[in-house]
Amino acid sequence: MKKKISKEKIVMSITIGIASLALMLVMFMQFKVVEQTDITGIENMRESDLRVELTDWQTKYEELNERYQEVVAKIEEYQNEKESGEETAQLLETELAQLNMILGKTEVEGEGIEIIIQDNEGAQLSEDTTVKAITEEDLLIILQELWGAGAEAISINGKRIIAMSDVVSLEYFLKVNGDRITSPYVIRAIGNQSYLESSVRGKGGHADELEELGHTVTIEKNRRVKIDKYEGEITTKYIK
Amino acid sequence: MNKKVISIVIGFMCLILSYGISVQVKTINSIGTKTSTNATENELRDEVLRAKEKYDNLYNALEEAEKKLEQERTNATQNNTELTDLENSIKEANKVAGLSEVTGPGITITLDDNDKITSNNILLDPNSALVHDIDVIRVVNELKNAGAEAISVNGQRIVTTTAIECDGNVITVNGVKIGTPFVIQAIGLPEQLNGLNRYGGYLMNLQENYGIKVTTKKEDEITIPKYTGVIKFEYAESK
Repeated sequence: MKKKISKEKIVMSITIGIASLALMLVMFMQFKVVEQTDITGIENMRESDLRVELTDWQTKYEELNERYQEVVAKIEEYQNEKESGEETAQLLETELAQLNMILGKTEVEGEGIEIIIQDNEGAQLSEDTTVKAITEEDLLIILQELWGAGAEAISINGKRIIAMSDVVSLEYFLKVNGDRITSPYVIRAIGNQSYLESSVRGKGGHADELEELGHTVTIEKNRRVKIDKYEGEITTKYIK
Repeated sequence: MNKKVISIVIGFMCLILSYGISVQVKTINSIGTKTSTNATENELRDEVLRAKEKYDNLYNALEEAEKKLEQERTNATQNNTELTDLENSIKEANKVAGLSEVTGPGITITLDDNDKITSNNILLDPNSALVHDIDVIRVVNELKNAGAEAISVNGQRIVTTTAIECDGNVITVNGVKIGTPFVIQAIGLPEQLNGLNRYGGYLMNLQENYGIKVTTKKEDEITIPKYTGVIKFEYAESK
């Protein structure tokens, strides 16, 4: 009798052992699935997104490569011109000139567009709504749309937009770079004409939105748009 | 009797277990097919990773080349004050243009979505509880107005051509997708930059009317990274 019970126990233990094993297996599978679904970034993307992502990286690579070649060429020039102070000065001046262009310290010219916005504040849009004034937010949105479309230089009423340019709304006028501007607002941008125009026109484009709100917007494509240089001094006190 | 009960219990357990296993296996199978049968997507994923790696490698090479260029410049201008002045102007211009890393005193502002929308909340539109691109644009604009000399948003340096845009559910800065919380850092006079948090200001409005979580912190020293993109002129010419 005793012997029989222990045999039964053994069978039971083995069965339970197998059951535990099966359970563990299920758990591991579970972990694996969880791991698989713990997806970030590109794992989550569908085919079309992935294609966009791929071309993005390829374009970025091309751009970076151009810059890389440029830097390598400059290094070589410096190494070659080491002996002559005059040539070195020339190289430094060229580099500085390029930087000044980036900073907005030079007048630039090229193809682009001119957006003219007439503020129709106070006009009657419909029976019970009057047109509201254009604010800094409107101009800021247009600036983002233009930069997003690859603009290389922008000015508003002749005020060059640089990295630390601000747009402020006051009661009767706006201020750009601390200078007053009034309607009509003339925004000039250099870059691909069609990209620039389509960024402010059409779906969600802010030029169209301003028209719907009762303002008058005209856009002219121009082969040669001239944009003034930044008039102020760029001084820094805190950055090191 | 005892034996019978035990076998029934064990048999039942096995049944449940095997059912569980088969369900599990079925799930795994279907997940597996979803990811692995779409070979084009997998291939594309690999390609994207490879393209990114290629880019990263080149970026590292560029970093090194830029360091070397600076070294060469210093070598070339040694012992000549006129040239050293020029070299310093280049260094300064690089900082202002966002092409080199900068440090200084300033402020850190974080903006995060209001995640406590309840039914008794005055908010009717859940959309207004989110931080939008325009909020980031406005805050950055106000920082510029307060005299900031360098600004970054989630590590993306704000340069002249930076666009802050909405792309579906995310915001892109310099074409790079970023998500909440938005960490905006600016170098300048901390007290003046902190004036952004004044009563009736834009930040206060976001906080009080939309429940956006806003924190501001004055900093003795922050580091703002350089712009990682490339600035080039294809259409514009200097006159």
